[in-house]
Amino acid sequence: MSQTPAVVVRGLHVRFGDVEAVSGVDLSADHGRATALLGRNGAGKSTTMKVLAGVVPPTAGVVTVGGHDAATDALGVKRVVGYCPDVGGLVPRATPWEHLQLSARLRRMDDWEERGRDLLERFELGDVAHRVVGGFSHGMGRRLSVVLAALHEPAVLLLDEPFDGVDPRGVEATLEVVADARARGACVLLSTHLRDLALEACGDAIVLRGGNRVAAMQAVELTGEAYRALLD
Amino acid sequence: MPSSTDGWTHAARATAHLVAFRARTVRRRAPAAVGLVVVLLLTVGFAWGPATVETDALASAPVERAIGTLQGNLGTALAGFLLLAVSAAMGAGGGRELLSRSEASIHPIGPVTEHLGALVLAPLNLAWLVQVWGLLAITALVTPPARLVGAQLVVLAWVLAATAVGQAVGWSVEGVRRTAHGVLVVRVGAGLVVAALAGLHLGGWLVPLVRALPTTWVAEAGQDSRWPLAVVALLALAGAAVVLGARPATWALGLPPREELDVQSGVHEARPVPAPRRGSPDRALLRRLDRGSVWRSVGMRRGLLVLGVGPGLVALVAGLEWSSVMLLPGLTASGAALLFGVNTWCLDGKGMVWRETLPVSAADVFDVRALVVAECMVAVSGVTVVLALLRNGLPPLVTGTAVAACWLVVVVQVLAIVLTWSMRSPYAVDLASPRATPAPHGAMAGYAGRLSLVTTLTAVLFTGVAALPWPWLPPLVAVPFLAWSSRRLVRARRCWLASDERARVVLTVAAV
Repeated sequence: MSQTPAVVVRGLHVRFGDVEAVSGVDLSADHGRATALLGRNGAGKSTTMKVLAGVVPPTAGVVTVGGHDAATDALGVKRVVGYCPDVGGLVPRATPWEHLQLSARLRRMDDWEERGRDLLERFELGDVAHRVVGGFSHGMGRRLSVVLAALHEPAVLLLDEPFDGVDPRGVEATLEVVADARARGACVLLSTHLRDLALEACGDAIVLRGGNRVAAMQAVELTGEAYRALLD
Repeated sequence: MPSSTDGWTHAARATAHLVAFRARTVRRRAPAAVGLVVVLLLTVGFAWGPATVETDALASAPVERAIGTLQGNLGTALAGFLLLAVSAAMGAGGGRELLSRSEASIHPIGPVTEHLGALVLAPLNLAWLVQVWGLLAITALVTPPARLVGAQLVVLAWVLAATAVGQAVGWSVEGVRRTAHGVLVVRVGAGLVVAALAGLHLGGWLVPLVRALPTTWVAEAGQDSRWPLAVVALLALAGAAVVLGARPATWALGLPPREELDVQSGVHEARPVPAPRRGSPDRALLRRLDRGSVWRSVGMRRGLLVLGVGPGLVALVAGLEWSSVMLLPGLTASGAALLFGVNTWCLDGKGMVWRETLPVSAADVFDVRALVVAECMVAVSGVTVVLALLRNGLPPLVTGTAVAACWLVVVVQVLAIVLTWSMRSPYAVDLASPRATPAPHGAMAGYAGRLSLVTTLTAVLFTGVAALPWPWLPPLVAVPFLAWSSRRLVRARRCWLASDERARVVLTVAAV
């Protein structure tokens, strides 16, 4: 029996005024699989992620996330998604614990504190759980963004540049989060420029260029040479 | 090793580059150009227009008395301008910045450049402009036409000197604030100054003391043949203050911003999810987060405190009539809105993207944010009204209903206007520094002008209504105002609920 993919994107277009950030992306991602989204700067990876997270509405095309249409049911999409944005993603004068509390409350999670504490400890943020994030380093902010995305064990985990500026321990913790999500049957989409880490975390790879999908393959097939050839 | 002259030359060039850069990045060039022309025309108008009034033709005792009073108080008005320049620089953490701290961090921008930039930006402040216009208008009214040019040159030289002195004092206070226990020292010092001024006023010594200040000589010199001497002396003072002001600027900017760092490293222990008697816990939690974003910002906290207590103290100590008090809620509410409300979504900074991924209705998010903006406006204007109430006692019924109706109208008016602007022109801003503003300086000057104009005209109307003997009239007059503002508010809300418009605001504010 074939299962419906967790993420289905058909002919996605996103326009900001005269700029077409995404022009006709097609992709699908399955439950229990981790898929890497690769491509150069401006390829449309982050915009695609924002559409999948329900932040940006698609200009055209069909986007279904966890069975919810991103164009008509953004709130439903947000309930099933955990999203780590590519930049920032934290309210500057709130503490990590306040971020977790708000996320958990709005997702009706009752016993979240223990998991929240555990995640903060795994990402070495336990000591700063009650300090405002405005004073955090870039790497600390990235790690907290991954924690927030993973807290509610979402059916679809979207990680946009989660390794950017993160130390090796943070990278390990992030890879563990990806492995845990896959193990419990979640769909993981991971956008990054770092091919090696993408291969380590993901079984599948999709390469975007100029707002289009140019390749979809098993991650192991994406050699350095093949990747460079797809980028040019 | 570069000499100090090299340093000043480099700083002047760097300031010119930064000003040109900021001018090039103005989004709406046509309205900005129109605004600049209007300001220049108004300045010329205030400097020359009142001189064309034939006061002799009006010859009546009240007019002559009024002109005599203005002439006698010109020196006091000059001193008042200096007080404004000092308090504006103090409130802005030394002075405004041409580039935000994060933007400037990658450029070799020295403290002298910061100092010159703050001086250049000082006029982009409505209070500064209004005071300058007031000084020019009074001078034009009380000076014989033959001496008008000299008198106005003295006023302009005073404006330059007072602005430069105010800036130097502002940097010095910021330097003290950044030392150990400096925040406490500045707060206690400011409190003592306010208490001393209040004591002097209540004891009847303030007016003689202010009249004994050198500003009285400046005002008198502008009216006679000593004006060239006054201009030269004031320009020399301005030059000295600009040069000497670089020293406290260098000192202050070389110290860590202690108050901001305290806030950033402050611990806020976990609190349980609020369980309100009415309303949903979701909205209560969102409200708590938004309130925290306001009160944990050094600039906003300081601004709300000054706006709440400052005008209220003036009402309390100076014993303002209710007709004058009527103007204050609108102005203080506008001031509160200018702290963040004009670009209200910037409160979340880059966290806006994360907040937008939360499964909560967009309507709840808008309503809570509007409520928090309104709370700030009601709080600061409420303090003013309560202090006026303490001083004046209960007003007559018609005045009371007029004050209450006017207060409600201006709060809803300002709320509707700033939420409309927040949707129409969002900006990516980091409000961590008290020197930061929620929108570019030119836009802020425009916002301040429009808010002050609207709320002042509204207050003037209600002052007129309060003069009539019908207590039911002010609430009735309020109805169309409230209906119009509510319509604007609903329109701004509808705009936020549209997912593409919301996405535009979110991505702009988060700068992604």
